[in-house]
Amino acid sequence: MKRLCNIYLLLFVLFIFTGCAGVREFLGDVTDKIEEKNPPKTPEDTKVLPASSYLEKALEYEKKNELQTALFYMRIAGTLNPDSTKIPEKIASLKSTINYKARQHFTKGVKFCEKRRFKDARRQFLITLRYSPNHKEALDYLKNRLDSKKYLNYKVKEKDTLKDISKKFYKNPSKDFLIAYFNNLKAGNPPVSGTILEIPVLESKFNRFPIDIPIELIKAENLLIEKKCKEALDITEKILEYDHLNKKASDLKNSAYYQMGIELSGQKKYPEAIKMFKKVTPEYPGVKEAIQQVINKELIKAKTLLKEKQYEQVFAVAGKILDYDKSNKAAEDLINITFCQQGKDLIIRKNYTQALNVLNRANPQYDCVKKTISDVYKAKNKQAEVHYLNGVKHFLNEELQSAIKEWEKALALNPEHKKAKKNINNARNLLKKLEKVK
Amino acid sequence: MQPLANKRKTIFHIILLLFLLVLAACATSTRSHHKTSEIRINDDFIIVKATAKDTLSSLAAEYLNDPSKGWLIAEFNHIKSLTSGQELCIPLFPFNKGGLKSGGFQTVPVLAYYSFSKNKPSKISITQDDFKAQMKYLKENGYHVITLNQLLGFFDYQEQIPDKSVAITFDDGWISVYDIAFPILKEYGFPATIFIYTDFIGGGKAMSWKQIKELSDAGFDIQCQTKTHRNLTELREKESFKEYFKSLEMEISYPKKVIKKKLNKECECLAYPYGITNNLVIAMLKKYGYRAAFTVDNKSNPFFIDKYKINRSAIYGKYDIEKFKKRLSVFQNMELK
Repeated sequence: MKRLCNIYLLLFVLFIFTGCAGVREFLGDVTDKIEEKNPPKTPEDTKVLPASSYLEKALEYEKKNELQTALFYMRIAGTLNPDSTKIPEKIASLKSTINYKARQHFTKGVKFCEKRRFKDARRQFLITLRYSPNHKEALDYLKNRLDSKKYLNYKVKEKDTLKDISKKFYKNPSKDFLIAYFNNLKAGNPPVSGTILEIPVLESKFNRFPIDIPIELIKAENLLIEKKCKEALDITEKILEYDHLNKKASDLKNSAYYQMGIELSGQKKYPEAIKMFKKVTPEYPGVKEAIQQVINKELIKAKTLLKEKQYEQVFAVAGKILDYDKSNKAAEDLINITFCQQGKDLIIRKNYTQALNVLNRANPQYDCVKKTISDVYKAKNKQAEVHYLNGVKHFLNEELQSAIKEWEKALALNPEHKKAKKNINNARNLLKKLEKVK
Repeated sequence: MQPLANKRKTIFHIILLLFLLVLAACATSTRSHHKTSEIRINDDFIIVKATAKDTLSSLAAEYLNDPSKGWLIAEFNHIKSLTSGQELCIPLFPFNKGGLKSGGFQTVPVLAYYSFSKNKPSKISITQDDFKAQMKYLKENGYHVITLNQLLGFFDYQEQIPDKSVAITFDDGWISVYDIAFPILKEYGFPATIFIYTDFIGGGKAMSWKQIKELSDAGFDIQCQTKTHRNLTELREKESFKEYFKSLEMEISYPKKVIKKKLNKECECLAYPYGITNNLVIAMLKKYGYRAAFTVDNKSNPFFIDKYKINRSAIYGKYDIEKFKKRLSVFQNMELK
């Protein structure tokens, strides 16, 4: 009894202390059920402004091109008037306009940035954020990519030491401790090849950097405009040597290779063009399409060569296509069709062994290959039969030596030719008997 | 007899339990505080109708869990005060983190003060009356003095701050900050940050660690301004680059440890001595986990400022209120359409 009294006392004190919140939690299920029975208040219950007034506000802001605020109010209007079909449509349309405008201004910003017009770029990125406040890339540009770099990234090469790298960047091997310090390395230990190091850019009074990257980038850009791709490429390679992760230099490098590929393609030097396109990162806009176009042109060329029976050249062109694109089905088909065609030609020329050699290089899964191989054997048997009959003719004319030669030819073409085998033995026995009689 | 006694006991327990439940139910009804006229919109907004008892601050406390955020409701609804029956939209998220508007973007002035005097101004010393007048001007003209954390939240594009925000900082650790500025700031309820260079503390004209602790406990942010206040960008005479580098490391790492030891608080920001810096210093600050650093460049700061080159406007002794006002630029015009 005493124990029970204590429990009640404890419960009593607990309720007093926790009050409303505690009891609500204690009786959570019950209250929830009560709320479920009483649905949320309708707009009339709450006596707030009607949805139309929020809709008006939204339209007013939309007119002023304050699209995010317009969207806020539109969503409120939509909640207050859940039966409206027009409001959700309007919300969707606003969202789509916002996305479109954000994308448009962001692209403009990136273009300005590429031209190093940072003030204009900043404005465009700010507008992007006005339309789309959570646009991560615009924020990244604003925060990190519009100011001069505080450090460069260097990719360690085989056998590089920190002293070598220090000499390269600071013209002074004794600043190796600085590189070690900022990359958590031990000054004496050589860095691992392939590691990307952060190299702080020092003020010119401490040392002058061997390369002025912003100026070099402008040079490369101008050379590209003048279509001097090779020179532009040399500069970008040099920049990337010092700043391995320099995005602008990578972009220019891709652009240079792409332009060179287009130029070579225009000169119908397709394999060389593909080589250039292959050096461009696959994400570069248009490069995949450019490679495909060149491959298509090469396939047309190979088909023409096939018609002209220039088989070895077909193999060379299609083989190169497969070098660039291992899974190119059209090139693989072409190679196997060429083998079949070559095999058929050799059948006509009665060069069955060569035909089989050629067809053995083809993919046996191809129907045309299967059929041509079967044709070779059929032709061989047919030819063997011709030689067999010739042998019979010679035998009847008592020209035993000639008959044996023909049957041997038949046997060579068809080793299973039993009659030829048997007749050769008979003829040779006859010849032996004739020798004895003589 | 025994079963009857047991029955009575059971009935008694049931009655007692029911009594407790009734009591609890009463408590529930008395503590229900939500308004009858409120609508929640997708967890982003609440629409409420203000009653005569409501203030911006009470609504902010109720719906944003922070009474100091009344300005957020005011700014969203374009109002300065509340009237009974007024319908308000309360945003439950920072609706404009960077302070971007169609006509430009928000900037935050960070004021840098040094020392104070009772009535004799000098280049770096401001009189008590002048400082008071400046704080009064901020209060009466709708400026919000924000904390260092709010400022960094704004620069991180995480937190929205009031349209007319300003931050107050003090350099070095002069005793006059404690004697003159501290009581005035307390009177106005303004937060501030003090950047100390640790070798100065405890000296003749400097605050003691005890006084700094008192300021820290009163809510002032104590951050550092190196160990010795050396110029971080220049080599001293006959100093080798390696010695300079070692010295930088000491200037940056030592005060962090001392502040941690003396105040048990993390030092995350630094004010550059003479307001100047270079890439090497910034790289080292990052290595030591500093979140931000301040120069003395007389400009206000947009959210996208380099956090290791935050501008501050130095307020000198002979500034009249007109000159002071010019340091309070809170908006940069730029067409953002």
